[in-house]
Amino acid sequence: MLTWIEKITVTCFAASYAVAFGLELWHLFRPRPILRFVALGFGGAGLFAHVIYMTVQSVPFVSPTGSMLLLALILSVFYVGEAIHHQRVAWALFVLPLVLGLIGLAVLVQTQSPPTEGWQSFWGIAHGTLLMLAAVGVSVGFIASVMYLVQLRRLQAKLPPNQGLPLLNLERLELMNRRAILWSFPLLTAGLLAGFALQLYNGMLLQDLFSVRIVSVLGLWLVFAILLYLRYRVHVRGRQLALWTMFAFAILVLALVSSHDFSKGVGP
Amino acid sequence: MNLLLVGGSFKTMPIEMREKLAFDGPKLPAALNELSARFGCEAAILSTCNRVEIYVARAGAATALDADLIAEYIAEFHQLPYDQIRASLYALTNEDAVKHVFRVASSLDSLIVGEGQIAGQVKQAYESAQGGGTAGIVLHSLFQQALAVAKRVRTQTGISKGHVSVSSVAVDYVRQVHDHFGDKTVLVIGAGKMGALTLKHLRELKPERILVTNRSPEKAQDIAKECGGSAIPWDQLDDALVEADIVLSTTGAPEPIMTRRRFDGILARRSRGTMVILDIAVPRDFDPRIHDGDRACLFNVDDLKRIQEETLKERQEHVKPSEAIVEQDVARFLSEWRRKKNGPIIAQLRQEFEKHGMAVSADVLAKFNGKLSEEDKKYLEGAIKLVLNRILHGPISALAEEVPEPSKHTLREAMMKLFRLER
Repeated sequence: MLTWIEKITVTCFAASYAVAFGLELWHLFRPRPILRFVALGFGGAGLFAHVIYMTVQSVPFVSPTGSMLLLALILSVFYVGEAIHHQRVAWALFVLPLVLGLIGLAVLVQTQSPPTEGWQSFWGIAHGTLLMLAAVGVSVGFIASVMYLVQLRRLQAKLPPNQGLPLLNLERLELMNRRAILWSFPLLTAGLLAGFALQLYNGMLLQDLFSVRIVSVLGLWLVFAILLYLRYRVHVRGRQLALWTMFAFAILVLALVSSHDFSKGVGP
Repeated sequence: MNLLLVGGSFKTMPIEMREKLAFDGPKLPAALNELSARFGCEAAILSTCNRVEIYVARAGAATALDADLIAEYIAEFHQLPYDQIRASLYALTNEDAVKHVFRVASSLDSLIVGEGQIAGQVKQAYESAQGGGTAGIVLHSLFQQALAVAKRVRTQTGISKGHVSVSSVAVDYVRQVHDHFGDKTVLVIGAGKMGALTLKHLRELKPERILVTNRSPEKAQDIAKECGGSAIPWDQLDDALVEADIVLSTTGAPEPIMTRRRFDGILARRSRGTMVILDIAVPRDFDPRIHDGDRACLFNVDDLKRIQEETLKERQEHVKPSEAIVEQDVARFLSEWRRKKNGPIIAQLRQEFEKHGMAVSADVLAKFNGKLSEEDKKYLEGAIKLVLNRILHGPISALAEEVPEPSKHTLREAMMKLFRLER
């Protein structure tokens, strides 16, 4: 007989996140402090169910489904943490759609078969972990960029400062984005190098280099290199930096969805 | 509760008269003591730039104090002719006075609805009365509840949301862009008086440095000295703008001092983040096309005033729900007060009935001497208690819910008479 823990499905935590998102949306139009507390409660409940699901179902993190669910889980932790830390900001409106999107993609891709060769080696684990951490950074940068653009739009329209969507100020959002980029790039680089080491360990094939997975991860690395160059050499800031980060996130999603040819399954 | 409020506000008297009637500095404790001593009552005085109100109460007395007596006292205290002030004063009693102080504390009666200062001033008035020993059972309950209502209105409605002064709105915008100010440079252009208050607010943010420039170097020096900044020559304006994070412009120039083309050249030289420009000069100093919300956020007087008006309009939408909260709390306060007032009577009533109940119970037990078990005795005592409680339930509830009508006998009197209770 199944225990309640084993009965937890993707629908359970996705529904909790969706309710939390709905309540935050409600709060936006009809501000009631209680709504935000309840939303946070649902977010927390979703996170709890998410952790239980990942643990009990032993979802292989190295599969596209597993990696997307893990990334969604880390972003949920980010949501709950930030919602407690910066209570005034409407985090749920920005983080939860991303979480729900990743869960949706994970369900669509639905391949949980773990890789067979080398993924348990040192290089395989290093490659997967580093790329996952880099993916977290890219996602946080993406959230900061979206918030930045919304705040920018408000300022462009000269909307009243204390009305409408509560957000962090431009400087804080840019700092958040910058830190996310600075955090992700070395991790991404190290993850890529570990991936190459893994390929050498497995005996690299020429056709592997042209897989969607490799091309997208290399593309992501390239976008990040451009981002850093623009930020620190050309002093590009604000809107342009935010748009580049969003582009990097789009490539990350492509890398996540693509097959795991590069590492034969290991990766974010 | 015999509460009386006599006072005047910006609605009933001009500022010159409010100034004359103010109880500021040492006048406040002196007046409180005198009121209390002369009329044998509790007293509190709310004296702000927009209102002067005296609250007096005599919990035990049969009737409230006469408003004219208090008005006379005010005239006498300030050495003003009684006739000159009486027409400008309003007088409210009991329920109306309660409602008034709740509305005042919730800033529903303020010149700018939703302003946050008044709750603090009501608190100060209460603390002064407390400190002077002139607040008793009525005023303690009244002011504590007024402050609670103010908090409820503030947190449950959006009546206090946003700022309504031009300088506060300007600083709100600055905060939308910048997070911390310890590494920021504020540039003040010109010496317009309108900028003084905004500059004061900006200084409170504790920026790293303040640069001041003006066509007249002497004026620039003076302002720099006043605000703890450093003066720079007028011809270095462009260089200063390259370094500035926040610009406050208040020149009296008839034409914009900064065209878009000139500003584009400055932006090309900048490596810093978004610049916030507060152009509060009339006519404007900066070409409005400079504003892009990303590299430069420009807010001029019209923008800031528009926000001010929008905020006030938005606040108006919260007046109705706020009034509903006040109404609810007035009803709750009065009901609590009646319960408190009739509390001793209710207690006496219970005691009387319990005394009779115990006597009956003792009689019955004596009659069944030894024939009843312990369980039966407990059952009998419980039954007597139950009957008494059921009999008392109606009268006690009626007392707690009583709404006194001045011309009629009160339930309290009826109850005392019916059950032969002592006064």
